[in-house]
Amino acid sequence: MRGGSQLLAATLVVVWALVHLVTQVLVDPPLGVLATVTIGVVLSTAVVLGYPSALRGPRLSRVVPQRPPDPRGVRSGLAIADAGRSMPLRSGLTPDAARRTAELIRPLLGGDAIAITDTEQVLAFVGPGADHHRVGGALQTRVSRKAIDKGRTVVVHRRDGIGCPEPGCPLETAVVAPLAIGDRVVGALKVYRVHDEPAPRVLVEDMASMLSLHLELAEMDRERHLAADARLDALRAQINPHFLFNVLNTIASKARTDPEEARQLLLRLSDFFRYAVRQDGHFAEFAQEYFFVRTYLSLEQARFGDRLRVRYDIDPQVLTTRVPVLTIQPLVENAVKHGIADKVSGGTIRLRARVDPLTRTTSIRVSDDGVGMPPEVLARLTAGERPAAGERARHGGVGLWNISQRLGSLFGDRCSLDVVSEPGEGTTVELRIPLR
Amino acid sequence: MDDGVDDRDTPAEVDATFRTLRRVAVGYFAVFLAAIVGFPLLAVTLDWWSASRLVGGMSPGFLMAAFGLYAFFAVIGVAAASLSSAVEARMLGGPAPEGGPLAGEGEEP
Repeated sequence: MRGGSQLLAATLVVVWALVHLVTQVLVDPPLGVLATVTIGVVLSTAVVLGYPSALRGPRLSRVVPQRPPDPRGVRSGLAIADAGRSMPLRSGLTPDAARRTAELIRPLLGGDAIAITDTEQVLAFVGPGADHHRVGGALQTRVSRKAIDKGRTVVVHRRDGIGCPEPGCPLETAVVAPLAIGDRVVGALKVYRVHDEPAPRVLVEDMASMLSLHLELAEMDRERHLAADARLDALRAQINPHFLFNVLNTIASKARTDPEEARQLLLRLSDFFRYAVRQDGHFAEFAQEYFFVRTYLSLEQARFGDRLRVRYDIDPQVLTTRVPVLTIQPLVENAVKHGIADKVSGGTIRLRARVDPLTRTTSIRVSDDGVGMPPEVLARLTAGERPAAGERARHGGVGLWNISQRLGSLFGDRCSLDVVSEPGEGTTVELRIPLR
Repeated sequence: MDDGVDDRDTPAEVDATFRTLRRVAVGYFAVFLAAIVGFPLLAVTLDWWSASRLVGGMSPGFLMAAFGLYAFFAVIGVAAASLSSAVEARMLGGPAPEGGPLAGEGEEP
């Protein structure tokens, strides 16, 4: 359970325990079953409905539970499937992940010592010989270099074949399998034994393949995060220079007639860019995004005057929820640029934000009564296609496409972005994301 | 002229804050009303409410009238006030700091 559901469940348990205590245990005579259940249901409903604002509590950083260290360095009775699911290398080829992986797989591979290296240095060494096969040191054995250079498994049956420069090294045999991401060798898994019979080659190769798969997944995760960061950067960079020119022109025109308003606009413009530049991470409190949106709209209102009307409808519970950064403002900007700006009589932009405590969903709706969009453009937008260059300029579809891609990478299929538009009637964009 | 309102806020923002605060007030009033109406309703419909003995020979209804209602009024009053001021802090003026006063406060029904 995530996002405070445990707190909600615990509160419900406490509520039912108190109801039972007061109506059945402490009282004489006890209350009837039907009345007791009714009281419990009423109180539970109140708790669930009031939960988003009353029970969410202080936001603590999510702490990843640490696995308790095993004094023997092994985990007995662990199935290979369990090892696969909990493989620490899923987070990448780091010394800590390599050490935990080596401890995890040592009993599975039947080796006396396990080492995991990258192409340059030893990342982890568990077992006899750890005194001179030091973590962080350069690769000492010829067999490691050979496996990494050739990209194939090497089996050594004699001590001198290992090529360890330490005379007293207890290691006699070795199986070294390369770890690869795609065709690129990134390290090696080494299984040593202190007697004549090397570890089963097939088993070591299979384990190396599994570790390689985890490394590949870690690489994909990293690329996915980089892509999400790049999309966010693209949104930051996408702040339209025309918007800046227009605001500066508006400020210049008001500087003589209404210096105080010009000053306020400059402060708002400063707030706007400060927020856009300083946001780190992918989530922010809704209240902060709301500040960004109203800053933007107040600047646009200074330009459009009475042609642009704004109506906010904000649920108090939604203010502390966490929403993806720079998500609402581009929707509002699209409504201004492509809905209201092209309409001579102007129009109203409505921002509505709600929390549904039962489905644990935050719903944000941006609507306008502007010119709307043609059905073919709407069809392309809802199909999730990246808009063509000319269309981007006319309909600003790249912002919507960017938001859709970001939401997909952040929430998967647990979010929705619906666009409804009628030419001449206006456009409504509704965003539903999990409550955080 | 200082009328107590930050002049950086636009009418639309003040209007939105007013409507959100009105929503808070209506919600809390509904809870308040439910409790006030529920008390005599229980006394009329549920004999157990006044006939049974809970602590020190007192009935649940007596305990509620003597202590419970006052505690309830205090809690709901503090919760409504703190939620309202937190809403105002977040919907008007500059950006609110993350994890500010709204987190963990209030009891919006």
